[in-house]
Amino acid sequence: MSLKEALKSGKFTVTAEVGPPKGTDIKKILHESIELKGKIDALNVTDNQSAVMRINSMSFCRLLLDMGIDPILQMTCRDRNRIGLQSDLLGASILGIKNVLCMTGDHPNAGDHKEAKPVYDIESVQLLGVVDGLNNGKDMMGNELQGATDFYQGAVVTPESNPIEPQLMKFGKKVDAGAKFFQTQAIYDIDNFKTFMGTAREYPVKVLAGLVLLKSAGMANFMNKFVPGINVPQNLIDELKEAGKEKAMDAGIDIMARHIRRLKDENICDGVHIMAIGAEDKIPEIMERAGLL
Amino acid sequence: MIITQKRNLDDLMENIKRYKSFFLVGCSECASLCGTGGTPELAAMKEKLEGDGKKVTGTFLAKTGCQVLGTKVELKPYKDALAETECILVMSCGAGTQTAVDLFKDKPVYATNDSLFLGNMTRMQIFDERCSLCGECILDKTGGVCPVTACPKGIMNGPCGGTNNGKCEVSSDIDCAWVKIYTRMKDTDQLEDMKKINKPKNWAAHKKPMTLNVREKKEEGTK
Repeated sequence: MSLKEALKSGKFTVTAEVGPPKGTDIKKILHESIELKGKIDALNVTDNQSAVMRINSMSFCRLLLDMGIDPILQMTCRDRNRIGLQSDLLGASILGIKNVLCMTGDHPNAGDHKEAKPVYDIESVQLLGVVDGLNNGKDMMGNELQGATDFYQGAVVTPESNPIEPQLMKFGKKVDAGAKFFQTQAIYDIDNFKTFMGTAREYPVKVLAGLVLLKSAGMANFMNKFVPGINVPQNLIDELKEAGKEKAMDAGIDIMARHIRRLKDENICDGVHIMAIGAEDKIPEIMERAGLL
Repeated sequence: MIITQKRNLDDLMENIKRYKSFFLVGCSECASLCGTGGTPELAAMKEKLEGDGKKVTGTFLAKTGCQVLGTKVELKPYKDALAETECILVMSCGAGTQTAVDLFKDKPVYATNDSLFLGNMTRMQIFDERCSLCGECILDKTGGVCPVTACPKGIMNGPCGGTNNGKCEVSSDIDCAWVKIYTRMKDTDQLEDMKKINKPKNWAAHKKPMTLNVREKKEEGTK
């Protein structure tokens, strides 16, 4: 079942993500991906995440297809102008890639090539419009395509963004521009997320709650301090602390599994997007504890 | 105005080491306000060069250094000094430097400053970049705050995930352009307009190098 079919069926959908390495040795990411086959519905492949230069998303997406995993091509506007983006989208289409996640992309300032010229010819909302156009057989300038694409396009949203109003306004624009599904930035406060979903449910889109695995209290504190739009409540930090260093990861897995159960049982959203950030091997265990396997 | 910053002096001295006599050109407009090419800076450069055993044949403060013909006229009294000058140092912006390149066909011209941006002076000698000269103004759609300039990603349709309590993820010294736009449009009762999607920009509206002949257009208009 593809991501689109899974979401349409009403099944509680699970996606995860992997980040290609810097360099050509892909043994680790191949292993992580194979372990997820048959368990998750689709797998994101990041696009030079944090503006750190790595293998491109499209190549690894194709390898996932060969392995029988439905890939989600993450596409940012940081490194390609509108000609490059459209050309890559057409290329992804002939490789059999169906899902594309449209993002503006982290600024080069965050990455390992800080002197790079940022492109941002267009941005996330406009890229969604471009995908919609290609699906309808037209490029950005209205030129007819010799064969249209058939993408299932998604976007991201930050439910804990402060202030929230302009973020919600942008969410609405992304829907207007053609986004069919959303994967959110990490959420930890389910009650806050329910409030966000109250607004999101007014739109005809599927929403997967973003969940980042907490590996330690230190990591939670770090994210609270340095990652915009992430808010780990104190009671969770205490839980990680009480677990002690050795068992902190285990507590983090418990927290995520508990959150997934609640999101599913209370029918809060359409599924989850699991970001294990370097601990992808823990995803099957998270899913097991959440009762998804 | 054009905001300039002095280049590294050691690098400059290295670049001009083979010349012995210099004529210094400042500018009474932007460079004076930036403290990079006004009367005090001309005097300081003269002192530095003379201290290094160089000859300064003259110093000149252009009224508006980017105005080629006006500057040419203003330079007439300096004919003799210029005749004994090997090298011209321009202490204004890249435009002023290239006025000198136009006017001094047979002399090398060196810039003492880096040109940074088109800026507003918010307080004495404190400058902010507000306009990127993109060629197609969108201020009417963004509450009068320019996201092309104020947002490091130039996002046209709302804040990215990096917006952080009104600040930008690129630097906490930067205000989030889209929070500013949102606040401004809310205060001016324009929020409904903020919900409209801004289309991709036409970057061809600024196709380098730009030229503009207003005179021709005026003449056409009167026909």
